Amino acid sequence: MTEPNLDLLVPAYVREFEPYIPSKPDPELQRLYGCDRLYRLNNNENPLGPPPGAQEVIRGFHPPRGAVYPSGDSYYLRREIAVRHGIDPDQIVVGNGANEVIAFVIKAFCGPGDNIITADKTFAVYEWVAVFSGIEARVVPLKEERFDDREMLQRIDNATKVIFLCNPNNPTGTYWSRDTLKAVLDEVGGRQIVVVDEAYFEYVEADDYPDGISLIKDYPNLVVFRTFSKMYGIAGLRIGYLAGDIKVVDMIRRTCVVYSVNGLAQEAALACLRDETGHIRRTRELVREGKAFLCAEMSAMGLPVIVGEGNYLIVKLKGSDTLAYRKLMHEGIMIRPMTGFRYPNHIRVTLAKMDAMEAFVAALKKILA
Amino acid sequence: MPVATHCVETAAKAFGLGRDESLKLSLATEEIFSYLSSNVCRGESVDIRCVNGLSYVRVEFRFSVSALDMGALNIAASVTCDNDDDMPEMGLAIASRTIDRLNIMAERQNRVCLAIEKDKDYPSVPETPLPPAVVKGLLTAETPDTEGVKIYVTRVNQGPPDPLRPPFFQYPGKVADMVAAGDCQIVTAVDARGECAGGVLFRFRTARIVEVFGPHVFCPAREGEIADMLLTACIARIARTKAIGIVNLTGMPLSVRGQYELLGSLKYSGDDGKSFVRSWYYRLLHEDPGYLVFTDAILKEYLEGEFKRLFLAREIRDVHDQGEIKEVASIFSTEMLREGSTAVLSPLWPGADLDDNVKRHLRFLKDEAINNIFFNLDLGIYWHASLMRVLIDNNCRPALIIPFGAQADMLIFQYDRTEP
Ligand SMILES: Cc1ncc(COP(=O)(O)O)c(C=O)c1O
Repeated sequence: MTEPNLDLLVPAYVREFEPYIPSKPDPELQRLYGCDRLYRLNNNENPLGPPPGAQEVIRGFHPPRGAVYPSGDSYYLRREIAVRHGIDPDQIVVGNGANEVIAFVIKAFCGPGDNIITADKTFAVYEWVAVFSGIEARVVPLKEERFDDREMLQRIDNATKVIFLCNPNNPTGTYWSRDTLKAVLDEVGGRQIVVVDEAYFEYVEADDYPDGISLIKDYPNLVVFRTFSKMYGIAGLRIGYLAGDIKVVDMIRRTCVVYSVNGLAQEAALACLRDETGHIRRTRELVREGKAFLCAEMSAMGLPVIVGEGNYLIVKLKGSDTLAYRKLMHEGIMIRPMTGFRYPNHIRVTLAKMDAMEAFVAALKKILA
Repeated sequence: MPVATHCVETAAKAFGLGRDESLKLSLATEEIFSYLSSNVCRGESVDIRCVNGLSYVRVEFRFSVSALDMGALNIAASVTCDNDDDMPEMGLAIASRTIDRLNIMAERQNRVCLAIEKDKDYPSVPETPLPPAVVKGLLTAETPDTEGVKIYVTRVNQGPPDPLRPPFFQYPGKVADMVAAGDCQIVTAVDARGECAGGVLFRFRTARIVEVFGPHVFCPAREGEIADMLLTACIARIARTKAIGIVNLTGMPLSVRGQYELLGSLKYSGDDGKSFVRSWYYRLLHEDPGYLVFTDAILKEYLEGEFKRLFLAREIRDVHDQGEIKEVASIFSTEMLREGSTAVLSPLWPGADLDDNVKRHLRFLKDEAINNIFFNLDLGIYWHASLMRVLIDNNCRPALIIPFGAQADMLIFQYDRTEP
């Protein structure tokens, strides 16, 4: 048997890349950490689950349909999204989670020598996909926990192809207002693609928060990401999408693999959009309650928080966040340590139901005692 | 052979190594080359590469080894266990005497890389001290230029003496070259006028572990603030790299100690015969995904206690010798660090002769007057567990665990020199 020579076969930027290790399944973690229940406060999931209509779709999935390929380009779902936003279905590409469409965009626009611009403390996948594709990722430090518009514009050069904005930002909850976003788009003037990742769009209640999709007609270099993983509670089914100008999306579509989105996810997503039972309102209420509770508790404990839009907040600890992770895991609480987001000593907590919030506070008090 | 040594000598000089050092390096090359070709890879080709590390010159020998000749890679290969006066040719050992570092690493595809390094000489810190730093107002963390590196190093030297600080801190020019070669990074805290209020130096100690020196603070009145800012900047720079943990062995101000976990300590004895203790502080950069580790029953309780203390989720599995057939000759890769008189041994290959081989290595290293001997076991590799009992029987004790220091956690054994 001759082993392949991986040093020759694999490009250096792949060899050097450190693969992300996802957490083990809950039962394994519970066994390893010796806890009999686990509150998942690490992934910004919706504890209410999907809206009732989507639950019905999932329950009703007819097993023999497992044998049949889904719509290869999420035909009905794109039509529904298009109608809701007054755009053409061909302005939409659906992916296996918003994560997948990040890769589509980078593949479509970036070649050797090109770069992308994003922030240092934001969702890591833009940077990861760029780096393991051999594309330089320029990470601009946040300014007062916000994406620094001036500095990001400064960093643009001839090789810059895509600018990634996370709006609102995961993990800080800050956002660019409509005016700020438009000012940046005006300045970029179509020379680069500007991606606005609106994974947490449905959580935002602020009046000056922009709906990116409504700006596409004025800014054809704007590409917007949405996901069904957060507010709509079907993270487990893996579905998200991007929207943009029809010519731009026509290019992006060339880099995407059709049939990557399963049929159940497509139908459940459709049902999510058609929800009329007040799922978004209920979820927002839950988040509001959790946010108020945690802010008060953290303040009483003398721990600063970074909180804004979205179903999460950051707590600043006095010591190591990764140690706090391990200690909290032993108490059955899973949070996200923020070192990987370049926020050492900070943890991010998903805002969830009150029993989970209370359990988190009790465990935090215990481990800091 | 004359080609190899001539090449190395010429390259070493071209890379700026002094006359003496170049000669020593080429002598070691000669010794190793002839040893390899007569004992390790007879008739096979050996690739020799000379690398300019800026502050050192490195010669790498790459070759394939057949299982039969692997045993010759043990640095103590030609040492016998009990017979004192019999010390025949020992090429690797002789070579290791004239250079600063020797290291043997297994690479992909049965390839082995044996590397030797010789350091350049640098002038030490200037006699006339810098005036005390006068720092005002807001500070920012930045990557210093060469001048900034030298000022930082000079100021570290002017601070309180620290016996644990590595000697390279005495040579500002050397550190500047180390930075330029990518061997380490520095972040400094500077005020609006560019005055340096402190700094931190860090480098990869293994593929996954970064060693942090400092943060050193030159403005005691603002120590807490400056140390915290430097450590945060340092971690932010390594947070999305291959690094999985950081260790700090020297220079850490009290104010940031709470950000670390104490792993334990190792005892060292210095060249002057005095011994000192080095505490290992650690910080994991990732979530602990939980892991399976292997142990001999003799250390199960110790491991359980340590993992509990460190809040690490580990499934500990016992490994038993059940009489299965083993390779004849085991192999240890040896890292010889003349500076600090240290040898670090890691098992590369299992074998039936583990006990003899450990004895041979200990005897050889004692004869070489190496003061500090460590064995690094990988708790994720099942057969390393079979060494635990052997090491304990040979006066080594488990000293500390570096989480994810190897494939899984690394367990460091320290050889106890006070043995009878
Ligand atoms: C900002 C942001 N974008 C994208 C994603 C990925 O979402 P998906 O589950 O649709 O892949 C997440 C999920 O954590 C996110 O936080």
